[in-house]
Amino acid sequence: MPLMNMVQALNSALREEMRRNPRIVVLGEDVGRRGGVFLVTDSLIDEFGAERVIDTPLTELGIVGVAVGMALYGLKPVAEIQFIDFIYEALDQLLSEAAKIRRRTGGMYSAPIVVRGPCCGGVRGGMFHSQSPESYFVHTPGLITIMPSTPYDAKGLLKSALRSEDPVVFLEPKILYRTVREEVPEEDYVVPIGKARVAKEGSDVTVVTWGAMVYQALEAAKLVKARHGWDVEVIDLRTLFPFDKDAILESLEKTGRLMVVHEAPRTLGLGAEIAAYVAENAIDMLRAPIKRVTGFDAPFPLVHEKLYMPNVARIYMGLSKLMKY
Amino acid sequence: MVGSRFYSTDWPFREYSLDDIGFDLRRALGLYRVIDEEGEQVGDFDVDVDRLLEMYVYMVRARILDDWLLRLQRVGKVAIHAPNKGQEAVGVGAAMALDGGDWLFPSYRELGAYLVKGMSEEEILDRAIANIDDILRGSEFAVYGKRSVNLVPAPVPVGNQAPHAVGAAMAAKILGHRTVVMAIFGDGATSRGHFHAALNFAGVFKAPVVFVVQNNQWAISLPSRRQTASVTFAVKGVAYGVPSVRVDGNDVLAVYTIAREAVERARRGEGPTLVEAVTYRMGPHTTADDPGKYRDPGEVKLFEKLDPIIRFKKFLYKKGFLDEDQDRRIWEEWSSRIEDTVKKCYNKPPLPVDVILENVYSKPTWNLLEQYEELKESLEIVRELGLEVD
Amino acid sequence: MALRQVKLPDIGEGLVEGEIVEWLVKEGDYVKMFQPLVRVLTAKATVEIPSPFEGRILRLLAKPGDVVRVGAPIAEIEAPEVQVATGAPGASDVERVESRESAREALQVPVRAPPRVRKLARELGVDLSKVKGTGPGGVITEEDVLRYAEESKKAAEAPRQPALVEGAVERVPLKGIRRIMASKMVEAKSRIPHAYIVEEVDVTELFKLRDVLRQDAESKGVKLTLLPFIVKAVVKALKEYPLLNASLDEERGEIIVKKFYNIGVAVDTPQGLVVPVIKGADGKGLYQIAREIGELAEKAREGKTSLEDVTGGTFSITNIGSVGTVLGMAIINYPEAAILGVHRLVEVPRYVDGELKPRKIVYLSLSFDHRFIEGAYATRFLLAVKRYLENPAILMASEEEFK
Repeated sequence: MPLMNMVQALNSALREEMRRNPRIVVLGEDVGRRGGVFLVTDSLIDEFGAERVIDTPLTELGIVGVAVGMALYGLKPVAEIQFIDFIYEALDQLLSEAAKIRRRTGGMYSAPIVVRGPCCGGVRGGMFHSQSPESYFVHTPGLITIMPSTPYDAKGLLKSALRSEDPVVFLEPKILYRTVREEVPEEDYVVPIGKARVAKEGSDVTVVTWGAMVYQALEAAKLVKARHGWDVEVIDLRTLFPFDKDAILESLEKTGRLMVVHEAPRTLGLGAEIAAYVAENAIDMLRAPIKRVTGFDAPFPLVHEKLYMPNVARIYMGLSKLMKY
Repeated sequence: MVGSRFYSTDWPFREYSLDDIGFDLRRALGLYRVIDEEGEQVGDFDVDVDRLLEMYVYMVRARILDDWLLRLQRVGKVAIHAPNKGQEAVGVGAAMALDGGDWLFPSYRELGAYLVKGMSEEEILDRAIANIDDILRGSEFAVYGKRSVNLVPAPVPVGNQAPHAVGAAMAAKILGHRTVVMAIFGDGATSRGHFHAALNFAGVFKAPVVFVVQNNQWAISLPSRRQTASVTFAVKGVAYGVPSVRVDGNDVLAVYTIAREAVERARRGEGPTLVEAVTYRMGPHTTADDPGKYRDPGEVKLFEKLDPIIRFKKFLYKKGFLDEDQDRRIWEEWSSRIEDTVKKCYNKPPLPVDVILENVYSKPTWNLLEQYEELKESLEIVRELGLEVD
Repeated sequence: MALRQVKLPDIGEGLVEGEIVEWLVKEGDYVKMFQPLVRVLTAKATVEIPSPFEGRILRLLAKPGDVVRVGAPIAEIEAPEVQVATGAPGASDVERVESRESAREALQVPVRAPPRVRKLARELGVDLSKVKGTGPGGVITEEDVLRYAEESKKAAEAPRQPALVEGAVERVPLKGIRRIMASKMVEAKSRIPHAYIVEEVDVTELFKLRDVLRQDAESKGVKLTLLPFIVKAVVKALKEYPLLNASLDEERGEIIVKKFYNIGVAVDTPQGLVVPVIKGADGKGLYQIAREIGELAEKAREGKTSLEDVTGGTFSITNIGSVGTVLGMAIINYPEAAILGVHRLVEVPRYVDGELKPRKIVYLSLSFDHRFIEGAYATRFLLAVKRYLENPAILMASEEEFK
């Protein structure tokens, strides 16, 4: 089995699915001749031609709007947003149109587009190349939101997204593009949407997280095991909406202590939804307050980003607090 | 710019002339007509009599239906209606230019177009009343559509459908279909970013799409001359490299002729066209609007003289294609048929409560299933407490 | 109107708790200040508790048989703001203290435990208010609950370890006077090193005197037994040997020699052993003593003994043995110094002036506190009692005769 990093895994997913389904079309800025600024769509144009790998003018609004039209007609478009931070121009087409067309048309039409792009921080990207805007998508009924943390999951989930009948926002933590390599099958496989992955089993605390923060959580888990003997369970949500609430509750039944770790700012981050859901439906499982370790409620900084993002220190602080109960 | 010469920024630098634009700019500045206000023919047309009468009947039906929708709104049976009066020629003329397999992305003031494309009066009324046969299952007001005739219900934010039309056209091209896509929207919509993005893409990719801008001269209370400083709306298309034509929107034959030309161009693979149809919004923006606050009633009176139906009738009379008796019969027949349909739709039961949680995803997600239980439970309590929830 | 709580007052004598015997009012009754509310059995006696407030009884918080600690609430009264104090001192102080306490109670912080821990406690039947929390800010953790449950289980199991009783048993709860008696006996025996002496007393002459006086006594409504004579003899002897009428203050290392003579006479009642006291026995005549013995015994048997009746004793006499065995060793009525046991009268042959005659013999046993009373001293006391009983003439004559 070949070793792949996330870029290669994504490229492989696109290639395989485009072969499998002639209606898949990739469009975005610099995706064709340049192969994408991160090379995720590298060489696709050579195999599938300029008709199916389209270099578009510079307008996310146009990219997503045209993708919606293509999907209405029957294509399966993959719209790349060069940096997810630039998606806001397209939100009217994503949230008002793609998310709502099935409902708006009484089920007659649907717009199952895939909107994908690099997200999240850790590469000194500053305010507009580091954001985690998943809350806007999770909060909009009609969208599926996915964020993988490993090459294997990236490929499997992108394949699932490309086979989905619903519009998907596919967020790729750019810091993980090249820093993680693992064995990724060349044969066809999918990772199901809506299922979390237990990245590490444990019995003392449940840490729910996604994206690059999975690795921070695993580091912190190692640290506290060595220092205090605490046994942390790390759950990688993978699909942010619909999130795997059963996995969370199952883990919580064991541990009684919940922590959510995410890069996105704290207020109304997905951690708030998870905390509210647990408090509403499983309060008898809790033996300690719920702790969220998140990005701060401030725009993403250029400097000191490793202190802005949840790090092992802050996760450790949170774990220490939870273990007192 | 120095003097009247245009510099381009190509490398190597060169100068362009009007010919480089590729089409006659004057068409975007003029006003194409086949019939004048009095019904006299002033331009060429290539349409047989049956088709002309078909056009007329569609416009009559649209007018009658529009009146009924207004009445139904006043009695509270229809939530909101955007009156179509005075704009029948655009909807009918443009839609008749399409073949059956072509796609139409209208907005909400093309009642004639919905009829032409293939929605029945009953379907339109069921939709407006949002009863159990509502094809859109109670999702929104004032928009209409039907998949089997490739009529896509409009988004409520105006102009959002423009990029959709381009995407659909590009998809048809990629798939090797001969489908042409038409989008109709108003003067206000051209100010939004979606219009710009759509025109840009259409021009770059030579998409087989026809944009019809219904310039009815009012975007709620803002007159067109305040909507843009462009001398016409058609001229905007020129900026994107899209051939553009300005036409008298109250002349159904003119609209039809130009729309047909644009559709055939697209079908031949020659790319998009922008058609500005100049017309007039006789009624309020919607039943929730009061034009008396911002518009001179004298202006409306003026445009009554330019009523497209009366104008076309005059033309048909003059040509001997229609006489008073036939006309009266057309009106009577359709009035009575539509009235019967209204009565039928009026008494149909409402949609079930389930629709408010329907069609969010292809299959309901777990949160929707949980919330459905909550909704059901709340209904029992509503009944118990005798709450008014309509 | 204000809601007030009646608490079991500290009735003195170092009492820490009492058992509810009988409510004298019911819920809904309107009571005046100082109206008797309830009868409570303490370690010493049954006491009537008066109401500290005027008002309507809303709720009785304890039922007969309940053991209540001093200071615990026993009833709720809805009382008007202005209390009519009918003269008893300290009522308003009591009131103010009550209201401050109830205000403090209202501010009490509820038990702090997270939901999972509460659920666990419910399942294990653990009372969270008894569990000490070791979590942040004193919150109760799961481990705290489990530990408490474990310890409770052990505590519940522990007493059963050495098979206390094997075989079929009936368990009778220790209640009422018997419960008090149990603790008193333990106290007396554990604090006082008991020493015992016994003497045989010939009361034949005493009985003759009694027979002479019997009719006269009866005509005055007095039942004359041996006991009043013994009381008089004891008092006379105590005057000569005052250490036996004392208590030891161990803390201060002082012998408290009492100058008053309150003789306790043990009575066997249906509820158990009661020891009412004849106050100032040295100033009372024979008939009076006899009368008091009778009245106190009657009262005790009816359970009407007051705290007054059973407190203040300096020396006790127990003659239960008179219906029992010829000899026994009584347990001192702490904190007294000694107790005299009077045992069964027997008619046995004795030599009187060289001749064998039937004589009425009774054995007296003296249990005394050997911490500060020597054997010889105690002996001399007992022999004095003997002399008085065997020579009633000296017993009945007043001291003046012998000055």
